[in-house]
Amino acid sequence: MRRSHENKYAIYLITEELMHIIYKKDLSIDLKVAQVVVRDRMKLQNGREMPVLCDIRSVRKVNKQARDYLALEGSQWITALAFLIDPPVTDVISSIYVSTQAQSMPTQSFTDKSEALAFLKQHGQL
Amino acid sequence: MPNTDDFRVKRIQKMLLEMAKGNFFYTIEPSDKNDNIASLVVMLNMVNEEIGAAFIHQGFANAHNTPQCIIQLSLILNSQGKVELVTNGTCSLLACMPKDLIGKQITEFMTEKSQKTWSKKMIKHLKRDRSETVLFLELITNDGLILAQDCQISVYQALDGSGQKILLNSVFFSKGEPFETGLPKNKLKVTKGIKEHKVTLSQEDIEMIREVHDMILNNLDKDLPSLKDLALQMGTNEYKLKYGFKQIYGTTIFRFLTQERLRKSKTLIQHSNLSLKEIAYMNGFKSAAHFSRAFRDKYGKTPTELRG
Repeated sequence: MRRSHENKYAIYLITEELMHIIYKKDLSIDLKVAQVVVRDRMKLQNGREMPVLCDIRSVRKVNKQARDYLALEGSQWITALAFLIDPPVTDVISSIYVSTQAQSMPTQSFTDKSEALAFLKQHGQL
Repeated sequence: MPNTDDFRVKRIQKMLLEMAKGNFFYTIEPSDKNDNIASLVVMLNMVNEEIGAAFIHQGFANAHNTPQCIIQLSLILNSQGKVELVTNGTCSLLACMPKDLIGKQITEFMTEKSQKTWSKKMIKHLKRDRSETVLFLELITNDGLILAQDCQISVYQALDGSGQKILLNSVFFSKGEPFETGLPKNKLKVTKGIKEHKVTLSQEDIEMIREVHDMILNNLDKDLPSLKDLALQMGTNEYKLKYGFKQIYGTTIFRFLTQERLRKSKTLIQHSNLSLKEIAYMNGFKSAAHFSRAFRDKYGKTPTELRG
C-alpha cells in the first residue's frame, strides 16, 4: 500500500489515522488543479474513508469552479476536514469556503497543527 | 509601484466600482504577500464570484431557465495576432478606446501566463487553414483588473485573399455545469399553458429553502421524503417549497437531487474501483439502468464509456 504521493500541486502523506495534504507554494487552484488534486487523493485512499488535514498555507487563490468542485465532487471519503491556515490570506480563503459551501462533514480551520489533529481525532473517527 | 499599499487599494476601489455597476467578471491579481490588503483582495475576488453566480442565477438565468449571454468580447486578429477589429463590448470590457486596441498585439493585453499559453497553442493552430479551439485567457484591462475567461478561438482564411485571420470570442454570464445533452422531454405543452408559478418569498422563506438545498447536498445518498412531508418538516407548504426552490435555484428539487448525485458519482466512476452498480446504489439511484441513462443525459457519455 502506498503511503505518500506527490504531484505538481500537492504532497500527500497517509499516516495511521489520517491523510495529510500539503499544497505547494503560491498555488492558484482552478478547476483543473482541483480535479488532479482530488483524483490523486482518491487513488491514494483507494476507497478508505479517513480524516484529512489540509495544509493550505501556501495557497493564494481558489476560484469558484474549484471551490464548487472541491465541496461536492471532491469531498468523498473524507470523514472530517481540518484546514491549516496562516492568517490573514488563507484564513479568508477557508472562511469563505466554509461559509458558502454546504459541508457534508465536520470542517474547521486552525493555525495550530496540534489543535487541528485533536479536532480530526475527535470528529473523524469512523 | 504595483506593490505599494496605495496602488493596491486603488485596484480594490476600481474592482468595487465595477461590482457596484453589476460587473462581476473582473478579478484582481492575487499577490504573493500575506498581509491584510492581500487578504482583502482574495476576499473580494471570492465574494465577487459568489455574488456573480447568485446574480446570474436569480436575476437572469432563472427567468427563462436558460442563462443569457449578455456581453460579448469579440476581436478579429491577423495571423500575427494584431488586432484588426474590436466590438464596442470588447472596448468597454477592457476599459479602453478602439484606438488603444486596433493595430496592437493581442498579447500586450494578456497576463504573462496567458501570453505563454497563447504563443504555445497558436503556433499549432495557425499551421492549419481552419482551426478552432477554446483557450483560457487572462486579459488585463486598462484599469489593471483581470478578465479571466474561456475564449473561443477560430482560425480562418479571409475571402478577399488577405490571408489567415483569427476570431477571438467570449461571452459573459454562463453557467459552469454542462447542459443536458438528452432530447428535451415534454417541451411542447400547448394545452397545459405556460403559466409561471411565482411565489413571494420572505427572507425567512429564502433561508428555509437554502436549508433544504444544503440538506439535500449533505444527504445525497438518502431518499428524499415527498414534497408534502418535506414541506411539513420545514414548517412551510408544498407550493411554496416547490415553486420557491425553482425560483431560487432554477431547477426542481428532484431534478437538483439527481444532478448533484450525478456529479458525485462522476468522481467515483473516474477514481474508484467500485462497480458502476455499487456507485449507482451508493448515490441513491434505484437501478443501474436509470443511473446510466441520467448520467448520459447530463454528461453525454454513459458511466461505462467514461470508465473506458
